[in-house]
Amino acid sequence: MSKAIHFLGSIGPAAALLIALAGAQSGAQAQTPAAPAAPAAPAGLEPETPFTHKLPPLSTRWGFIRGGWESGGTHIFDGDSGKMVGTVQTTRWSDMALDPAGKAIYVAETIWSRINRGTRQDYVAVYDPTTMALLAEITLPGRLIIGAMKNNFVISDDGKTGFVYNFSPAASVNVVDLEKRKLARVVELPGCASLVPVAGVGFSALCSDGTLATVALAGKAPVITHSQPFFKAAEDPIFDSHVHDRGKGEVLLLTYTGQLRTARLGATPTIGEAWSLQAAAGLRPGDTRPLDINWLPGGRQLMALHRKSGTAYVLMHRGEYWTQKQGGEEIWVVDVAARTVKKRVPLKHEPTNIEVTQDDKPLIFLSGDGRNAWVMDATSFEQKHEIENAGGGLVTVLESR
Amino acid sequence: MSRFSIDALGEKWLRGFAGRSSRRSFLTRLGATLVAAPVFPLLPVSRANAAKTDRSPEAKTAFARNAQTTDDTKCNYWRYCAIDGSLCSCCGGGVSSCPAGTEPSPVSWVGSCINPDNGKAYLIAYRDCCGKAGCGQCGCDNTDRETPLYMPQLNNNVIWCFGTSSMEYHCSTAVLVGEAQ
Repeated sequence: MSKAIHFLGSIGPAAALLIALAGAQSGAQAQTPAAPAAPAAPAGLEPETPFTHKLPPLSTRWGFIRGGWESGGTHIFDGDSGKMVGTVQTTRWSDMALDPAGKAIYVAETIWSRINRGTRQDYVAVYDPTTMALLAEITLPGRLIIGAMKNNFVISDDGKTGFVYNFSPAASVNVVDLEKRKLARVVELPGCASLVPVAGVGFSALCSDGTLATVALAGKAPVITHSQPFFKAAEDPIFDSHVHDRGKGEVLLLTYTGQLRTARLGATPTIGEAWSLQAAAGLRPGDTRPLDINWLPGGRQLMALHRKSGTAYVLMHRGEYWTQKQGGEEIWVVDVAARTVKKRVPLKHEPTNIEVTQDDKPLIFLSGDGRNAWVMDATSFEQKHEIENAGGGLVTVLESR
Repeated sequence: MSRFSIDALGEKWLRGFAGRSSRRSFLTRLGATLVAAPVFPLLPVSRANAAKTDRSPEAKTAFARNAQTTDDTKCNYWRYCAIDGSLCSCCGGGVSSCPAGTEPSPVSWVGSCINPDNGKAYLIAYRDCCGKAGCGQCGCDNTDRETPLYMPQLNNNVIWCFGTSSMEYHCSTAVLVGEAQ
């Protein structure tokens, strides 16, 4: 209230001056009726009324590109035009997720009352995807602070439940009722992380004992079961940026050496057999030995999946083992069902993030080598756009359901 | 330099932590982590033991083969084999000390790095310094034996400012804990 009074007070003299000038002008016109009429203003110079845009419904052709470590905000770019269409408010420590049907944008974030100290607040902010208006804030008991990794905040297939990973440093998962907009429960999940929703059951997560944990949420108490161990977490770990295929109820898992497998999710998941990407490309399989230089997968969000065609796009680089964060020199285009590498696409830059749109003429978004991002046709691999200062962080697209 | 012992590490770690923190709820959570994840800091040590004393170039990672021991403001300084973040030695702090006004995290992720001068492996605790905006100097991201989030003690992406008065990340140190074998 006091701010409003001060504001009116400060504009008062200026407004009075404008009114006085207008009066003087009208008086002058009355005294010179014979003056020639002023020329009409050119089109487009009429007085304007400022307004705020609304967005159209979320498009499958858009890429949501995080600013990365140095810059807040997730900028939305139209892959067809390369133009920016809007921004989602995300801080460095937040995780963003889209409602699978595009009906809401969720941001799990953490702030402190005095910026770098004070009372910590963890919550999920709910935004209207058209107006970008803040609709609600759902308080959380905590969450992992890591600076945006894929699969720490995922949404159930029906859009009703969010799963927010917490690490305090004990591991747990906040189960959030997105319909009632409140925390439903907290599930302790020691030794596991990297979440994937499981339709009709709850969620699954990868674990340090080499298993896939599945958490069933139907009962009063969560029921946690583990698969048989199927990977060696310290020796050849599965990347935590695995890719979920909601339509098939599967998750695509890739290890540091390049072993790819599919797991069918469910109350009792079925873990598929692993196969070597390098062997599928006619090379020797990746190995953990030092001095063994090979093509290896690497990056942060290093694998994307076009669900309808079953085509995976993997960022690959040349190097030795333990180079799992190195950006891609090539995109390997993989037919997951046929277990073949269809094409190897050289890259001019070394991005660490890749995502692909889920429509019939898919586009690839690449980021993570500096501040620019690139849009590429996912069939011809022709570069469509280089977007300056798009942001170097994770890329999110609207999923097909 | 005493030889590494997991019991001694645990005692030193917890004593140091107890002296710096009175946050009971944090201790409870930390206890839960330790109980629930018994593989915590054992893994790099186990792996180092499994490798025995083979420190030949053929057994070293690319980082270890190219590491140096003279300049701790460079990413290839030997202790930084699994560090991710700004080097505190470039931010007004040191290789194992925090810049003025920041607070060391009582817990950390760990790495086992080989000193090229004597060929021995050492357990390194990467403690974050917390409480001020990011230092931004000397950004490094080395990934020897770095694992995904489900094995957090070896993950270098997590902000480890737990139990400090502020979780704002400033920079990372590389504290020598002991000989790994």
